[in-house]
Amino acid sequence: MSLLHLGFYSAFTLSCLGLAFHRTHLISALLCLESMMLSLYLTLSIWPIENQAASFTLMPVLMLTFSACEAGTGLAMLVASTRTHGSDHLHNLNLLQC
Amino acid sequence: MIYFMSLLGVCFALGALAVASNPSPYYGVVGLVVASVVGCGWLLSLGASFVSLVLFMVYLGGMLVVFVYSVSLAADPFPEAWGSQQVAMYGVGLILVLVIGGAVGGFVECWKLGVVTVDGEGLSFARLDFSGVAMFYSYGAGMFLMGGWGLLLTLFVVLEVVRGLSRGTIRAV
Repeated sequence: MSLLHLGFYSAFTLSCLGLAFHRTHLISALLCLESMMLSLYLTLSIWPIENQAASFTLMPVLMLTFSACEAGTGLAMLVASTRTHGSDHLHNLNLLQC
Repeated sequence: MIYFMSLLGVCFALGALAVASNPSPYYGVVGLVVASVVGCGWLLSLGASFVSLVLFMVYLGGMLVVFVYSVSLAADPFPEAWGSQQVAMYGVGLILVLVIGGAVGGFVECWKLGVVTVDGEGLSFARLDFSGVAMFYSYGAGMFLMGGWGLLLTLFVVLEVVRGLSRGTIRAV
């Protein structure tokens, strides 16, 4: 593996682990999700440069578009949670319990 | 030059580590801003100036600004800082997972340096990423319209999610 590929691969893995082990706040999980999207954007940008295929440069811009949609929806849920429960702590989202 | 880009790669991974092991969302956002600035520098070093500019303006200037003031809505008034024991153990644990994963996955035997830049095939009339993204208007018109429609739909989704007064999502039962 190229040493540069290890850079964004490890960034993706670290953000994935941060999303899995999120602790108190919902927004920490959303930030880890955004970090995953950032590393995916870099990966998708570097791939057409390495293969010298210009038409695949569409892909990171398109991915950024849908990532913006997802970030907006996640923040809307954060605002809804803060308006209902007073904070965005994850132990407030406890309707699905056995 | 390759060592400069390796430094940018390490800084990008460190920014992601700061986001993953943040003591408080304020520091997570700082890590994300650092990671996106370093990522822009990385893309610029490869010669892809358009996608780097898109990242800077849309991601850093649009989405992260919205995240910063959402963090000011949602985070604690007295956050804990980087120096606490628990956060340091968390960060060390994440690095350890990464190092063990790299060692087990056989990274050490097969690593190599080297990068292809935008001018790898000689000169052309327009840069690689400029001419690629311009295809949104020719062959990619369908996906362009889908992307625009998805953004419009998200606007209405957000409107419905944050609508209060017993008609929105996440109401306390």
